[in-house]
Amino acid sequence: MMTNIIISGVGGQGVVTAGLLLSEAATIKGIHVVMSEIHGLAQRGGSVSVDVRMGDVYGSIIGKGEADLIIGFEPIETMRAISRAGRNTFVIMNSEKITPISLSMNDKEYPSNAELIGLADKSVTIREINAVSLAKKAGNYRAVNTVIIGAALALKVLPFDKAEVLAALNNKFSGKIYDINREALDLGIEQIQLNQTA
Amino acid sequence: MIEMSELKQLLINEPGKKLFLLGNEAIARGAIEAGVRVATTYPGTPSSEVGNVLSELAKQAGIYFQFSVNEKVAIEVAYSSAISGLRSFVFMKHVGLNVAADPLMSISYTGVRAGLVVMSADDPSMFSSQNEQDNRNYAELAHIPLIEPSNSQEAKDFLKYAFEISEMEHIPVLFRTTTRVSHQRGMVELGEIAKKEEAGFFKSDPKNFVALPVNSMGLKEGLIKKMERLKTVSDNSRINRIESYGSGKYGIITSGEAYNVLMDTVSKYGLDVSILKLGFTNPLPENMVTTFLKEHENVIVVEELDPFLETRVRMIAQMHSTGTKIFGKIDGYFTFSHEYNPDTVAGSLSRIMGFNVEQVPVEIDSSMLPPRPPVLCPGCPHRATYYAVKRAVKMSNIKDPIYSSDIGCYSLGVYDPYDEADVMIDMGSSIGVGGGFSNATGQKVISFIGDSTFFHSGIPGLINAVHNEANVVLIVLDNRTTAMTGQQPNPGMNINGMGDAAPEVSIEAIVKAIGIQYVKVVDPYDLKSTLLAVSGALRNEGVSVIVARRECAMIRDERMRSKKEWKTYQVDPEKCKLCMNCVEKFSCPAIFIEGGKIRIDQNICDGCGVCAEPYVCPPKAIEEVQTA
Repeated sequence: MMTNIIISGVGGQGVVTAGLLLSEAATIKGIHVVMSEIHGLAQRGGSVSVDVRMGDVYGSIIGKGEADLIIGFEPIETMRAISRAGRNTFVIMNSEKITPISLSMNDKEYPSNAELIGLADKSVTIREINAVSLAKKAGNYRAVNTVIIGAALALKVLPFDKAEVLAALNNKFSGKIYDINREALDLGIEQIQLNQTA
Repeated sequence: MIEMSELKQLLINEPGKKLFLLGNEAIARGAIEAGVRVATTYPGTPSSEVGNVLSELAKQAGIYFQFSVNEKVAIEVAYSSAISGLRSFVFMKHVGLNVAADPLMSISYTGVRAGLVVMSADDPSMFSSQNEQDNRNYAELAHIPLIEPSNSQEAKDFLKYAFEISEMEHIPVLFRTTTRVSHQRGMVELGEIAKKEEAGFFKSDPKNFVALPVNSMGLKEGLIKKMERLKTVSDNSRINRIESYGSGKYGIITSGEAYNVLMDTVSKYGLDVSILKLGFTNPLPENMVTTFLKEHENVIVVEELDPFLETRVRMIAQMHSTGTKIFGKIDGYFTFSHEYNPDTVAGSLSRIMGFNVEQVPVEIDSSMLPPRPPVLCPGCPHRATYYAVKRAVKMSNIKDPIYSSDIGCYSLGVYDPYDEADVMIDMGSSIGVGGGFSNATGQKVISFIGDSTFFHSGIPGLINAVHNEANVVLIVLDNRTTAMTGQQPNPGMNINGMGDAAPEVSIEAIVKAIGIQYVKVVDPYDLKSTLLAVSGALRNEGVSVIVARRECAMIRDERMRSKKEWKTYQVDPEKCKLCMNCVEKFSCPAIFIEGGKIRIDQNICDGCGVCAEPYVCPPKAIEEVQTA
């Protein structure tokens, strides 16, 4: 058994932190985890992606078609990761855009999310979520991470449950910040459940 | 990086406890367990986190730690400690070892007294490097042992083993990781923390430690004998092992990260193989390899970058007439370039072993996705400097300027719209190369160098330019830290690697001391004075230096947030004339176009306010956001 998760986004969005939270939850459940981080070059603004692999795995790199779950922190970066999706890959896409300067510099606008999603094979189901507004609703913009992890939990592809995520959050945060993150987790879960029943 | 408070866990002396560690964090723990007393480095990705951890924990761990001015000095400091009886560890990125290669080639001759391990973090696929050289070749060149771990657990355990080997033959040991080992995070079981020597003592022995020809003659022979003896050690080493899957029809020899990728392929396709997994790769375990070759009709060598193992395996096969068919890079089955991934390894193995590779089910036309290369951060002072320099060059009517750049975040000035890097090869090269251009051409030369890089190896190039009467404008981009690798201190700061107060070395005092007359220190956020200073330098003959000094935006952000002095800017659509200067020429990542209007992303803007200056926004349409 293995679960392969790709988290992609823009430097500065907390992509590595999300990988750490998922890894910690799996570890609490007693599952073997390997995670790959690429550091270096500019600190903010470039494409960043983290591979998290859980279960019977050796290396930290997920091959083409091998991702079980893609978590995109940003629409263009979500689509960039989709080249590693397979037919059964679940995708969560945060709808909040960050315009790359390659567009603005050439007086171009960011494509619509519908145009971007249209690039992907029809067999891939992409669930959009506005994690920024939900994080703000929970009480802090920086809880975007936790909202997205909540959304991933609701898809039931992760090899652990809410209890392990809460334990991981509890190891990291305390007091009010923990409460905000617990709320953010619930908002993420609810959002996906709403979409699924709709 | 794990949080600072969590970093303390690396000091726990509870053998058997497990932590989820980055390879580099595991290496730092390995140094602590090994009883390392002195550790030195010059920061370079993918090795940087080892230093970040040791910098934080050195005092509590009883280690003397320093961020040295460059890798050559780092290895010299570690060496002198090791010959004074203290276990010493020096680490750097692969290209750093080029800088340290001069001393390395001689200290292999003299040898050491206490253990000395030299770590090279190689970067296959060049995630943050100018090349992807395979530094295993240095072990061969210097005649020293080579150890290669595959994951975080091995990174820690093998480092301790490397110290044992070093002390067994009193020889420096090369410890080679790659990006995916240094930056892989996995579970690590802690071991016992060893006791350390308190203070070193150096007992003089010039015959052994003075590398004059008369001494080196004998030392070389001694070195070769050491490596001869280590062949037996490698043959019996616990870090070389055989694993069998199925009947083991094909034999595979591998090491490092290639082992991980190989194993994922073996389990995915259920391949029938025996694997000789090597951790001790120089000298190779010759008997072990010979037996393995004799036991298999077909042997495949799976390794990243150079055919380092393959060449030696082929040699052993020839010397022992094993008659084995060997597959690898030399015959074209595997590539010499870039790191391996499950797709490339499965592809190569399938051609040799004849199985079908699964087709990728979902393809996307990624040419439709706009690129997002690394960029200078919002608020980065270098953006303002590059903007001012470009304008000053234009205003001065300079045709065909040559921009000579250097290693650091500011290398990103190569991208549109700045285009201010025509050449960039190695640390400190901007000024050396700049001086060369001024000899060879009549063009105006503008060199860029960061503060840390200036100290690292820029100074000799600058002295050379002065003495040889070059005509160069040197812009020192002084952001008060070694930013690219994660804000490590450098000699221009008043703090050292252990967090203690330290004498600050003045860049402008050095520049003046070597006889440069035109020296200006400017704040790049102040575009007007930066423009004036650069224009003046462009008119000046000889070497002129501008120190563009403004702290790294990430440090400034942290300070502003803690003081709750956060502010951001926005565009007043009434005043904006859509001249596009801010998006096309200044190009901060926070500025974008939406619905035909220019906007500033409030989540990204860090409030530097440079875009609001009339030199960027003539109609003054960019203003501070007023929060009621």
